[in-house]
Amino acid sequence: MERRSFFVAALATTFLTMPAFAADVPEGVTLAEEQTFTYRILDEFSSFDPQLIEDTYGSDIARDLFEGLYNQDSDGNIVPGVALNHEASADNLTYTFTLRDDAKWSDGTPVTAGDFVYAWQRAVTPELASPYAWYMELMSIENGAAIIAGEMEPTALGVSAPDDTTLVVNLSQPLPYFNKMVTHATTFPAPKWAIEEHGAQWTRPGNLVSNGAYVLKEHVPKERSVRARNEMYWDNENTVLETVTTLVIGDDAQGLTRWRAGEVDMTDIPAGQYPALANEFPDEAFAVPRLCNYYFNFNLASGPEAFQDVRVRQALAMALDREVIVDRVLQGGQFPAFTFTPAATAGFDVPDVDIAAMTQADRDARAKELLTEAGYGEGGEPLSFTYLYNTNEAHQQVAIVATQMWKQKLGVDVTLENQEWKVFLETRGAQNFDMARGAWCGDYNEASTFLDLLTTESGYNDAKFSNARVDELMADAKSSSDPQPLYTEVEQILAAEMPVIPIYHYSTNLMLSDAIQGWPINNVEQNWYAKDLYRVAE
Amino acid sequence: MILSAARRRLQSRAFAEEQAPEMVASRSFWADAGQRFMRNRMAIFSVGMLGLLILFSIFGNLFSRWSFEEIDWNVLGRIKEDGGPSLENGHWFGVDELGRDLYARVVQGTRTSLLVGFIAGPVSVLLGATLGALSGYYGGRFDRTVLGAYTIWLAIPYIIFFVVWQAFFGRSMSQMIMVIILVNWTAGLLIVRGQVMMLKNREFVDAARMLGMSDTKIIFRHLAPNVLWVVVIYTSLVIPEVIMMESLVSFLGVGIQEPNTSIGALLSQGASTMTFGTLWQLGFPAAIFVIAQVSLFYIGDGLRDALDPKER
Amino acid sequence: MLNYTLRRLLMVVPTLLILVIFAFYLMRLAPGGPFTSERPLPPAVMANVLERYGMDEPLHVQLWTYVSNIVCCFDFGPSFSQKDRSVNDVIAQGFPVTLTYGFWSAVFVLLLGVPLGIIAALRHNGFWDYTMTGLAIFSQIFPNFVLAPLLVLLFTLSWGLLPGGGWNGGQWQYIVMPAIALGTSYMASVARLTRGSMLEVLGSPYIRTARAKGLPERTIILRHALKPALLPTLTYMGPVFVYMITGSVFVDVFFSTGGIGQDFINGAYSRDYAILLGLAILYAVLTFVLTLMVDLLYAWIDPKVRAGLS
Repeated sequence: MERRSFFVAALATTFLTMPAFAADVPEGVTLAEEQTFTYRILDEFSSFDPQLIEDTYGSDIARDLFEGLYNQDSDGNIVPGVALNHEASADNLTYTFTLRDDAKWSDGTPVTAGDFVYAWQRAVTPELASPYAWYMELMSIENGAAIIAGEMEPTALGVSAPDDTTLVVNLSQPLPYFNKMVTHATTFPAPKWAIEEHGAQWTRPGNLVSNGAYVLKEHVPKERSVRARNEMYWDNENTVLETVTTLVIGDDAQGLTRWRAGEVDMTDIPAGQYPALANEFPDEAFAVPRLCNYYFNFNLASGPEAFQDVRVRQALAMALDREVIVDRVLQGGQFPAFTFTPAATAGFDVPDVDIAAMTQADRDARAKELLTEAGYGEGGEPLSFTYLYNTNEAHQQVAIVATQMWKQKLGVDVTLENQEWKVFLETRGAQNFDMARGAWCGDYNEASTFLDLLTTESGYNDAKFSNARVDELMADAKSSSDPQPLYTEVEQILAAEMPVIPIYHYSTNLMLSDAIQGWPINNVEQNWYAKDLYRVAE
Repeated sequence: MILSAARRRLQSRAFAEEQAPEMVASRSFWADAGQRFMRNRMAIFSVGMLGLLILFSIFGNLFSRWSFEEIDWNVLGRIKEDGGPSLENGHWFGVDELGRDLYARVVQGTRTSLLVGFIAGPVSVLLGATLGALSGYYGGRFDRTVLGAYTIWLAIPYIIFFVVWQAFFGRSMSQMIMVIILVNWTAGLLIVRGQVMMLKNREFVDAARMLGMSDTKIIFRHLAPNVLWVVVIYTSLVIPEVIMMESLVSFLGVGIQEPNTSIGALLSQGASTMTFGTLWQLGFPAAIFVIAQVSLFYIGDGLRDALDPKER
Repeated sequence: MLNYTLRRLLMVVPTLLILVIFAFYLMRLAPGGPFTSERPLPPAVMANVLERYGMDEPLHVQLWTYVSNIVCCFDFGPSFSQKDRSVNDVIAQGFPVTLTYGFWSAVFVLLLGVPLGIIAALRHNGFWDYTMTGLAIFSQIFPNFVLAPLLVLLFTLSWGLLPGGGWNGGQWQYIVMPAIALGTSYMASVARLTRGSMLEVLGSPYIRTARAKGLPERTIILRHALKPALLPTLTYMGPVFVYMITGSVFVDVFFSTGGIGQDFINGAYSRDYAILLGLAILYAVLTFVLTLMVDLLYAWIDPKVRAGLS
């Protein structure tokens, strides 16, 4: 393994300036006696094992139990975690993190750079077979892909620990946003000794050794899990909440009822209920932007002939009144979308695209013209196709409203087809559809997490859109210090070609008791840390 | 000695003739049953209600100002405030969460559900009852095989079964009815089997055997009337179950497809928003379901009483 | 009788084997697998995952491994969706939960449904008959997904008497609402079946004979009519009891009881083959035991059935 010498290159050092990032309790606030926080999740999370977690609920818990190199603050900016700062080499191929020396595991063992090396190697080990090994691949760590494929030993991974407080990472391609990716659960350290002692049982309460602000106290699968303050945590004195309880409540309406009964402090808002609840509880109902988009895929590979005509695609995109979908159907503070990347994405300026500037009346008129030009609709060939979605109340509502709009405005006849989730994934992945629902939530807070999807090689390009210029621009963006102009051009190509119809960008809707303060409302990834929260006296 | 005397008595011709009135279903049995049923006022009333329901599902659309799939853009987004039942805007039953006319949807859904319920329900029970009767009557290896199949079938993950069915045969109304029958063929099996196990050792069956009747004849002529009550009651229990099962099957992509709907689908949609102040979305489909179910109850009981061979 | 029981028991192994084979192949026919996800896994990662769970082998080899692991070590494999747990863990944790609330639910059903049915039969077509039937209807027209939110609105939100969900090791407060929500519609069925079979028995020759002998009505009903009249009800309750003690997905999800009822459904949706097979086997064994018990009950109550079976 060749290690790049980063000393010869000019050093670009990033020092994180945020000093304190624990619970920030303002003066004069009376804290509640009982510092507890109980929140509700929809279903059981996949695991406590940071390298195996594959869902957001699991990640939320992992961020409390473990601490990675960096954390996020309430706006989503990175702030020191176990790492104090890092240096990136000029070519952005080597990242050197300096770790704090006072971090400890819950059993008192110091947290060292070696714990990260172990964890990262573990994440790509074929024997562990973590589905999230792809995340390590996405991080472009040297030899990651080869290790996953079983061609190299895990020790060949481009990560090393020259000493206990230095972690050196070598990348196979320069990623300007690499530092943002180390807030993800897959990159959290793992306690080698505990894993070797207990094997698969190491995540059970009592066995689990963690380095975050909390330790696991109790876990009843599908019912509750409880975590309590970790006395060994380096910043323990600034942690306010004593216990955090996760309750699994599989029904949104029941979650709300139990929130009303005071049994949980936080729950999701059932679909469509935000306006009523915001009216009833103005200080406790929240709708905030979230890093996800929602769109319709045209099947450009094997779909109807009509979809090959860009005018048909444009017409269908224009006839959809996104304001109605967002304000009158979903009603949860979502954002009408005309670009693929959500406006909330960090460092992303929404480019000007024509369709966004028009009024809906203009769009409707233009849609009719385009469809007629293409020879379909009134006076032309009748246009009909099937729209595929997975069975779900909200998806169904969007589908019904969209098809009614097309029917009434353009005379297009759309048949709905719902399928069970996994069947839907198979069908869509095999391009057995005319038009299909698509949605994506960012893996990290940067536009490429969205725009990469529409490159030719992407595994999630269900539209089978292929544009050489887009591929080239996205490849360039990987190493560009200012990728915004590249992203703008990609978005403009997408708006012109319309391989997918962006419908809306998500928002997070939640009910949060006003006794709980410190929630990172402005963090578009909604990555929250219980150590930043506190409960005030009623 | 006493034993052999008893046996002799059992084998005597006189005994067989004495038992005959009980075993031979008299010619006038069905006529009597009909008369008895007609005397049951609740049952007759229920038949009337069910008839009205069927008429509603067929001709209800004539009184509707909206189609079942049209969105009323004026109320969309203000369902809670403006979406309730109203004479002015023609939404007699109010609108659903998407501003579609609930009256038209209830009419359409009633049609679907009655069709599914009244075909799949009775057919399933008849299948189960027949197998149960044979199983109970013959016993032995046949019985054990049927019980084995029964056990296996109950344990099969039925969601997977629906998903596989959808993958291979696609979606349609008849597919759905077939799938529901296939999943429910065990309905009533055990209970009929148990009744037959008890009845087959009764004197009148022994007598029938002695008179040289075939097994088939014994089962269908003499045992069946005695277990009809179970079949009737069971059917009236299974029909509502089937109507609810339809919404799951459709959910998994085998059955009907939006914008078409069913009472089961409307009920679960209504129930999911019942705590949010749009109770009419639950109320009207529930009312239809209740009428159907209550009617079935009384018709079932009426039939049971009428078909009871001992009430002559 | 012993002979009969033994013969039935001999059927267990072949029945389970056929079940496993059938369910195993059926599941593999369903589109999508445990690792099909919104983001398709890169081929190399997928290969590792499949190998980890032995799913890279041919199907019949996997089936053989599965069956031999059960036979040798009572090992039903690891869960695919709950990564920290094995199927044994999942069932060991969730089955006691559903067993508890399911048992109480069955008790509730029988204690209310049977007397309702008997009273209705004794006052056939009278005021009490209609009242009881009305009550039974009332309970059946509330499907659990309507009844459960109502219960929570009343008992939790309005009166604050019971917790809105959770299990907490199975304290009684946490059992009441799940048991009622699960049982109510079955109570109606039980009442109706009991009424029907009671009427049937009361009209039978031997009860008529007993009446002719001038035995007191109470003796006739309790001594002679009740036992045979309960048989259809108990037969009905056999499979229902199995269903109840393995829980209902609705109750588990709505009341967050953490039982295995939801695993039947979630296991299917997530294509967690191991969980599904494990639960299918559990369900079959329970069905087997319950049907056998019902048959033995017949034999115990009715000497002629006993003679017929032996």
